[in-house]
Amino acid sequence: MRTRIAEIIINELKLKDVTPGTFDPNLDLIEDLGIDSMELTTIVVVIQDEFGVKIDEDDFGELTTLNKIVKYIEKKKG
Amino acid sequence: MTFQQILSNPEINERWQKVKKYFFLRESTYDMTNRCNLRCDGCYYYEGAKQFSNDERDPGKWRALMTAEKERGITFVVLAGAEPGLVPELCQACYDVIPLGCIASNGLRPFPEGVGYRIHVSVWGDDAESKKYRGRACLDQQLQSFKDDDRAIFVYTFTRPNIDQAKGEIHRIADHGGRVTFNMFSPPVGYKGDLTMDAESFRRARDCMLELLERYPGAVLYSRYSAEVHCDPERSLHQRFRCPYPRCNPDTRLGLGRSFRQYRSDLTWDRSVACCVPDTDCGDCRHYASGSAIVTSRMAQHVGSELDFEKWLDYVDTYLAVWVRGYEKGRNLYT
Repeated sequence: MRTRIAEIIINELKLKDVTPGTFDPNLDLIEDLGIDSMELTTIVVVIQDEFGVKIDEDDFGELTTLNKIVKYIEKKKG
Repeated sequence: MTFQQILSNPEINERWQKVKKYFFLRESTYDMTNRCNLRCDGCYYYEGAKQFSNDERDPGKWRALMTAEKERGITFVVLAGAEPGLVPELCQACYDVIPLGCIASNGLRPFPEGVGYRIHVSVWGDDAESKKYRGRACLDQQLQSFKDDDRAIFVYTFTRPNIDQAKGEIHRIADHGGRVTFNMFSPPVGYKGDLTMDAESFRRARDCMLELLERYPGAVLYSRYSAEVHCDPERSLHQRFRCPYPRCNPDTRLGLGRSFRQYRSDLTWDRSVACCVPDTDCGDCRHYASGSAIVTSRMAQHVGSELDFEKWLDYVDTYLAVWVRGYEKGRNLYT
């Protein structure tokens, strides 16, 4: 799951010189990469499809690092 | 249906790639002066505390503000209230630092060519109606001021009494080579005048918008979905989608709740009242400016089917064509 989510982030943000293996799990997508709500929404929508979970819009603001996203999806999937 | 399946439709995917390039836009708005050369019934600027702010008239201070705004990530500025046309030197100072943006103007004074922002020119009904609610007829002068000016988008605000006048006024604008979009009068808090829409007038306005969209496809920048959401008699935009502007949204982690500011003409701002049309009644807000942010930000609510996503793409394509100079609208996918 972690690798696939990292891939989604890298693909959607078109990040260069980084692979799922080298992706910093604590990199803050908003503070460090400067993305905002529309880019994050795109990532979330793809993750929803991929893992078959429904992510509430109120929770988007929590999903700012790879670690936080993984933890959130694991919790959702029970 | 998954998002990836929706994007497998080539026409949808092409439009998605087109609008996605503009996700970098981060907006804030700025009252440029407390002065205006009109006094319009139902004007939201002359409600609340902002109208009593002192004007900062030093272009250097505006330039410094814009530099600070750019540093905190703002990429798109909306220059508004009361009338930015009275302070072109301040608009120029803003443009020199942040060159993407839009000016909301009554259009009675032309802007210097060097101010390269999109310019929204407000139109409120025919000449008689304009005299009644704004104190003078405006459209002839507006058309003259912005003849062959690709910066200008005329914004026809539908009110309860002026729905039947729209066809004639849109014809005048189209006949002069102008482009036009639609706004819905959204009353300021406590407004008791007769401009406020009712259920019947929302339906008539929607039908009128759709007829004009079909009749003037080159001049009218709008979409069927825009007409549907802005003319919903049951729900304001906030009630239907939840407004992300700080006034309605306490969440400071993301999006407009994080970055949006509404500066008064003295360069101060107050999060508790910050939105694109301050002092408008949120429970009755269907303003075109608020919709541009509200509907656009709710992409996640529109990815359940191809049809829903087409509606959203049309809305965003319209919003970008109306607000961003140089962005050209495509044909509507949802018809």
